[in-house]
Amino acid sequence: MTAAAETDRALVDRVAKGDRAAVRLLFMRHHARVYRFVARQTGSEMMADDIANEVFLELWRQAPGFEGRSEVSTWLLGIARFKALSLLRKKKEDWIDDEAAAAVPDGADTPEVVTMKEDKAAALRRFVDALPEEHRTVIDLAYYHGQSVSEIGEVLGIPVATVKTRMFYARKKLGEALKAAGYDRGWP
Amino acid sequence: MSAAEKMSRRDEMETLLPFYLNGSLEGSDLEAVEEWLASDPSALAALGEAEAEFSGTSAANEAIRPPADALSRFAKALDAEAGPAAGKPAGSSWLAQAWGRFMAVPVGVAWAAAAVLLALIVVQTLVQPGGKGKDFEIAGAEDDLAKMPFALVKFKPDAKMSDISGFLGSNGLKVIGGPTTDGVFRLGIPAADAAGYTRQLGLIAAQPFTETVIEGRKPADGG
Repeated sequence: MTAAAETDRALVDRVAKGDRAAVRLLFMRHHARVYRFVARQTGSEMMADDIANEVFLELWRQAPGFEGRSEVSTWLLGIARFKALSLLRKKKEDWIDDEAAAAVPDGADTPEVVTMKEDKAAALRRFVDALPEEHRTVIDLAYYHGQSVSEIGEVLGIPVATVKTRMFYARKKLGEALKAAGYDRGWP
Repeated sequence: MSAAEKMSRRDEMETLLPFYLNGSLEGSDLEAVEEWLASDPSALAALGEAEAEFSGTSAANEAIRPPADALSRFAKALDAEAGPAAGKPAGSSWLAQAWGRFMAVPVGVAWAAAAVLLALIVVQTLVQPGGKGKDFEIAGAEDDLAKMPFALVKFKPDAKMSDISGFLGSNGLKVIGGPTTDGVFRLGIPAADAAGYTRQLGLIAAQPFTETVIEGRKPADGG
């Protein structure tokens, strides 16, 4: 356990006793990552704003029941994931996200042509963004949020073996996309 | 080892590389990856590719910027949920507001925080905004506060005013906001780059009178 994690837990203990300063400190520490996680899940910064706020209100409500079996960051991401999926399910029928629509390629360039216009780093970033949601999420959680295999399983509510399978296919797809774009990395 | 077994092993190692890079791998998985990196000539290239993915993913996430007013809106939502916090400033002038903040600092939170605020009130009453107090500089109206790197700091309840003000003055630190009702100050950090900012934060955190330091805005190269 890291010193930062201990401090997070100490803050949650204070929140459980009704300390608003502690929940604000946790907000300042974790809000940006929770916000980005939800924005990547939903494709909507407006939804991310609402849900991230709700996550910290949930922290306020649930702090007395937090048993410390996971890191606070993992706990918050799990709450965020649940809320994002719930909202997406509710809005699935009629929700059209302008931001997501704007992000869809217009087909003017083939992937090869687009890739020639950018360097490998930019191409890789684009390929990560283009991964299916279930693959991109494990990539985000591992590379950006620093989560372990078991923590990702906890956040997503899936077995450890499934986390590894998704990571395998996510990286395989990235490798294939890079290869197709002329960047041979030797695997898969 | 057959070619099929070798490929299977490579697949497994490639799957674990992201967790090796983020430092969460341990036990037999960590040993297996380290052994692979040490024994397979292609492994280091694979590690380089995973590092590139790491950078790309970080960049894609960091490109998403949360709204700047998120905290204030959350504070309002929290007040709506839990009831308004006691002791909010009632007056409209800056002095009335500052006095209100002074009175709102909870008993037992930080007399030092209250003392620093009192110093702010006194100094700002006696000198022009932007002028220098005896011990430390008060950020004035002409400071470009919107761009200034800052950190959020809370002092210990038993901290001495003289220690805090001496430290701020000798390190060029500025009080540019606060305290909140919880005794949190916003300190302007005179750092030109991220490394300098991190050093300053470490210095503040190391002081015996510092209770909490939270990273705020870094200089432009701070990512």
